[in-house]
Parts: sequence; structure tokens; C-alpha cells
Amino acid sequence: MHSRVNQWTSNVVEQCLSQLAKLGKPFKYIVTCVIMQKNGAGLQTASSCFWDNSTDGSCTVRWENKSMYCIVSVFGLAL
Amino acid sequence: MEEFQTGEETTFVVDEISTIIKESVEGAIGGNAYQHSRVNQWSSNVVEQCLSQLTKLGKPFKYIVTCIIMQKNGAGLQTASSCFWDNSTDGSCTVRWENKSMYCIVSVFGLAL
Repeated sequence: MHSRVNQWTSNVVEQCLSQLAKLGKPFKYIVTCVIMQKNGAGLQTASSCFWDNSTDGSCTVRWENKSMYCIVSVFGLAL
Repeated sequence: MEEFQTGEETTFVVDEISTIIKESVEGAIGGNAYQHSRVNQWSSNVVEQCLSQLTKLGKPFKYIVTCIIMQKNGAGLQTASSCFWDNSTDGSCTVRWENKSMYCIVSVFGLAL
């Protein structure tokens, strides 16, 4: 539902971030969330990072149900 | 006595980043219509161009660049991001670009070392 998507994306990133912060690790985090209606449109995402390969990392999860796709990425950068 | 550090050397300057993003997007996909077979290459080009320009700035930052290209087809798209960082030194910049057949959304996150 278009009227609730705004709230949903905010909720997803806030939930993720609060759980990540609770891990108590010495990291900075970036969390991004994309929600797209299943309507036949093509969607392509890419990301590139300039960081410290030995300590930093990212994780992307793709989720879907009958009406929408949700793609969440977390980037963790060591302090 | 020379001074190398000024206030601008170590802060995330949104306008500067915004210009870099716009130039990268225009250079990679400006004037093209959405083509499913080429989108993969385009999004890679956009992020690589952005990142190489950002690193040339020579500032003490780590960068994350993300790019979303979506065909104009009536579908709804919502994006959000949340960051756990140092408010005084870190920043982000998001640029939304479009032409007749597609949208391109690029975000740059800069985190001070």
C-alpha cells in the first residue's frame, strides 16, 4: 500500500540499526532499505565501497512477498 | 610555517559530492533509454565513476556508494537509510536523476577515518 511504504522502510532501517547497535561492536553502520512494488518494472542496484578490506564488510538481504520486493543492505565500518 | 589542514580538508562537503554524483550519472547513462541488458553495466559504471572521483579528493574518509536504476513502469519505489556514525564528521548525499525511461538514485555515505 503506497501510503504505508514510507513508514515501513523507516521501520525496517530503524529496527536493523537498533539491533546492530546492541551488538556493542566498535563499528559505524549504514543501513539502506528499498521497497518496490511488483509491477513488472526492472530494478538494478549496485554499490561500491572504499574502505579497509580487512575489517569492514557488508551484507545484503533480498526479501519478497506476493506484492513487493524488499532489499536491505548493511555496511559495517570498523572504528 | 605551512598549514596543511583547513576546516574543509576533513569535512564531508555535500555540494562537492552532489556535483560528483551528477557528473558520474550523466556520463554513464545520460541520453540512454532503459535497456534491461545494459542496466547491470550502467549501475556498475556509475558507482565506479563516483568512487574514483571521491578518492581523488584525497580526504581522510571511507566511502559507500549505492546506485539504484529503475525502469519507469508505474511501480512504486521507496528507499530509506539510517546511519550509526559520528554526527560531527560524517555525512551523506543522495541525488535523484531521471530521464524519459528510467530513474537513477545514487547515495554517497562518507565516514571520517
